[in-house]
Amino acid sequence: MKAFRYERPTTVEAAVRAHAGGALLKANGIDVLDRMKERLDQPDRVVTLVDVPGLDRVERRPDGSLSIGAMTTLATLAASADVAAACPTLATAAGQAASPALRNRATLGGNLGQHTRCGYYRFASFRCFKRGDADCPVQAPGGVQEPAGIFGIDLCACAHPSSLAPVLAAGGAVAVVASAKGERRVPVAALYEPPARGKASDWVLGEGDVLVRVEVPPVVAGSHRVGYEEVRQKAAFDWPLVVGAVWVAARDGVVADARVWLGAVAPSPWRAEAAEKALVGKPFTAAQAAVAGEAAVAGATPLPGTAYKVELVKVVVRRALVAALERRS
Amino acid sequence: MAESKVKLGVADVVAEKTIRHEDADPAPWGLDARLAVVGTEVSRVDGFAKASGAARYAGDQRPTGLAFARIVRCPHAHANVTRVDLDAVRTMPGVLAADETGGRRKTYAGAPVAVVCAADERSLDDAVAAVRVSYEVLPHVVDATEALAEGAAQVDPKRANRGDADGRGRGGGPAGDAQKALDEAELKVEATYRTQVQTHVPLEPHGSVATWSEDGKLTLWCSTQSVDAVRNEMARRFQVPAADVRVVTEFMGGGFGCKFGPDPCDYEAVRLARATKRPVWCMNDRREEHLTGGFRPDSVQKLTLGGRRDGTMTVIAGECYGTPGNGQGGAGAANTALYDIPARGVTQFGVSTFTAHGRAFRAPGHPQGVFALEGLVDEFALAAGMDPLDVRRLNDKHPVRRLEWPVGAKRIGWAQHRRKVPGSDRGPVKRGVGCAGGVWYNAGGGSWRIDVAVARDGSVVVRSGVQDIGTGTKTVLAVLVAEELGVAPGAVRVEIGDSRFPPGPGSGGSTTAPSVGPAAREAGVRAREGVAAVVAAAWGVDADKLSFAGGRVRGPGGKETTFEQACAQLPSEGLSVSGVRRKNYEGFSGTCGGVQFARVAVDVETGVVRVEKVVAVHDAGRIVDTLTARSQVNGGVIQGISYALFEEKRLDRASGDMVNPTFDTYRIAGMADTPEIDVVFMDVANGINNVGMMGLGEPATVPTAAAVANAVANATGVRMRELPMTPARVLAALAAARGGGK
Repeated sequence: MKAFRYERPTTVEAAVRAHAGGALLKANGIDVLDRMKERLDQPDRVVTLVDVPGLDRVERRPDGSLSIGAMTTLATLAASADVAAACPTLATAAGQAASPALRNRATLGGNLGQHTRCGYYRFASFRCFKRGDADCPVQAPGGVQEPAGIFGIDLCACAHPSSLAPVLAAGGAVAVVASAKGERRVPVAALYEPPARGKASDWVLGEGDVLVRVEVPPVVAGSHRVGYEEVRQKAAFDWPLVVGAVWVAARDGVVADARVWLGAVAPSPWRAEAAEKALVGKPFTAAQAAVAGEAAVAGATPLPGTAYKVELVKVVVRRALVAALERRS
Repeated sequence: MAESKVKLGVADVVAEKTIRHEDADPAPWGLDARLAVVGTEVSRVDGFAKASGAARYAGDQRPTGLAFARIVRCPHAHANVTRVDLDAVRTMPGVLAADETGGRRKTYAGAPVAVVCAADERSLDDAVAAVRVSYEVLPHVVDATEALAEGAAQVDPKRANRGDADGRGRGGGPAGDAQKALDEAELKVEATYRTQVQTHVPLEPHGSVATWSEDGKLTLWCSTQSVDAVRNEMARRFQVPAADVRVVTEFMGGGFGCKFGPDPCDYEAVRLARATKRPVWCMNDRREEHLTGGFRPDSVQKLTLGGRRDGTMTVIAGECYGTPGNGQGGAGAANTALYDIPARGVTQFGVSTFTAHGRAFRAPGHPQGVFALEGLVDEFALAAGMDPLDVRRLNDKHPVRRLEWPVGAKRIGWAQHRRKVPGSDRGPVKRGVGCAGGVWYNAGGGSWRIDVAVARDGSVVVRSGVQDIGTGTKTVLAVLVAEELGVAPGAVRVEIGDSRFPPGPGSGGSTTAPSVGPAAREAGVRAREGVAAVVAAAWGVDADKLSFAGGRVRGPGGKETTFEQACAQLPSEGLSVSGVRRKNYEGFSGTCGGVQFARVAVDVETGVVRVEKVVAVHDAGRIVDTLTARSQVNGGVIQGISYALFEEKRLDRASGDMVNPTFDTYRIAGMADTPEIDVVFMDVANGINNVGMMGLGEPATVPTAAAVANAVANATGVRMRELPMTPARVLAALAAARGGGK
């Protein structure tokens, strides 16, 4: 990697200033250092949040919601009784990510901000739309497609790697972003944008925008149900092939509101609106879960090598809904 | 010559045999040998050093003034280098050298183009990033089948990509009249099996640290499976006497067959060390290792297996090819290796592609060949309406393997777990069992010498140039010498992996332990005789009346002392003796068998396969250290599962470059993917050498993928004929079986 100046501010304000001045924002570096080693990023300055106090913890607020600092590790999320109570699927997803060693370092903010693991993006010798080339080689004849997406892939076929983002988006979580103008609140569901040529990052935050925490509304016992399902080829330490996260509000056994989000199937976390529509107003049953699973693939445009992900989406949505249905809380 | 009567065999197949052996060589241990250390569980003598990080591997060496080098590699599968701009690089801070390397035409992604050497790693990284290379990109082909097509780009302009047909294949040459046997067969099954390209991925990549002395002597710390081969090759390449080259591999982080000779990084370390007059470090990184460090060729095996309705197999025939990369040799699959099928006619050929160089890989040709053969045996059994285990037992003539089938079947619970109706489990998770066998040829050989020195303080040192690829060679040597001296293995220091010691064999072919073990035993006997002679003289008794056991020496009339005190009688220079590897005797069996049984759970909605249990029944003659042997089998099974389910070098066809050259994208079985592994060793007295030992590294990984695939077929009713069995492939096969899929 290219030599850089490492800045370790102790306040959010100072981090914002450094980031606004062009420093690359780093949490614990699991993704950022990989990119720098491959010289996908060659910053002159890197600013880290590691010395800013208070960003590495989970708080349960009086209304039952969670406030989770951006530097909270996945291991902390997985082990937190507060997370288990307020948003159990977040604990599940965090606990299944990567390996124990990585979970001890990987942070919530880093997980949400990481770039795609698409091999074409990761190695500069390949062409890549995200790195400025005109087309996406995944879609070209002979491209390796199996890890790629099936939704929204007309320009770039990569898959977004975060398994926490779908959970948070489904749960209605809000990202709190500090900038020179003060804090603003961005729903996690609105944190990402479609691919653009030459734009490596998937989210809407720009220079000077520092994600400081995520607020997660409580899953209220008796009213809300959540479910999570991922398919991994390996039993552990593997990127999921498909992730499904659901949040359902049901009254008297009928779905009043539903949010269905998918991971690893599109360049950014993907909302399966058709699946949500298939649920709302209907009885919350296993049979309806299967209907929603079928609906979830509406709009999919799989490549020959990603056709299997269409089947996996149906399965993870159905299973996540059944898990939500069977969950006691 | 001496003659000894020895009880040889296995289980109830035992016979007394007369072995003629050199006088100096102790008689082979028979079935009734009573041994104190051999056959017990002995922890690795270097286990703590390895686990604690104290072990220093090649790349850990940090001689004073060390410089660092890295190779700049071609990103195209086929290109002419038109310009390499190194002038600016040479003036960068810390840069000591920057040179072009290799010819103008590059025939694989990863081919070396230039090499840069700098005083520190950071300067090196900046310098490498500043190298500018222009290419004329040329047409290429990276897939074996595409390379056979009319008009495909040729790797060698003077020669077709398709190599010469070689009917021999691996493991069993042509035999009988295959066409006639096919015509006469009552039952035939025909299918095409495919396997992927698997890279070796040793945890420690290729590489060296090299340093030249002022008087022109080279010391090279190298990660190699043969210090001797590297020493000789470096001497030849750099025009110095072999005696002036010292190669050291004290510890090694795996090789699996890809490290028998120097790689570009090793040559460059030596060349640059001489040019810069500084020690130079040059190791592959993970991506370079995946791209260029070697691979198991893929295979397309179009086979027909025929036989009689009673389950007797009479013929196997067909065509088999794969790509060993730029070359054409070494792609054969051992799909005729088992069962002594009387008529065999499989045409084998390699296909050149623009994809680096395939290399020997843990049982070359066997995991892929046995995957196809044992899949077909299951298909044949289905056609015959028989239990596939019964078909195997009916056709298997191997003296040990035929006894292994029932042992494995019992331990996996074949009768209980085998699904009579595949796919009949309720729910999406289907379970089943499968089995497969293997064979290997590994009694070792050569005329290697092992030195043993005993000092007056009782310390014992064993020396050999052999290196420990990670299998426990050091420990095996310690155990055998300790057995003869009646001391604990921990009391024996083993110094190996250094070309200054007596030459040892390359670590490959599962021959290492059986090639050096018998020499170590003989050296141990010589050492015991030497100590016994001085003790006997002191006590005034016959030397052959002394016994060595439990760290003590005992003689007639209740005379007794410790081994250390006995050694105090030695002359001041101590005792230096040697043992030599003798020719193999005609033992009980010249080959090893081995069978494995797998129980799997397949989620038919997601296509995810989990292996729940593997029973591995193996034989390797006398097991010298049960613990390291079991570890070998565990590793073989895990690597086999990894081959069956996960590993695959994925090349972008347009560029010929690898898209998954990292540990997180080139999937390898991890702890959570590792099932319960039940290892069983058959107790075989072979007599083929004085220990009766054979090798185990390769046999342990041969049957695994086939057993897993057969279990998947039993679980789901769908046969997977292509590896790895990814969710995408499993779902596609299930959909095809339902008639609804592509």
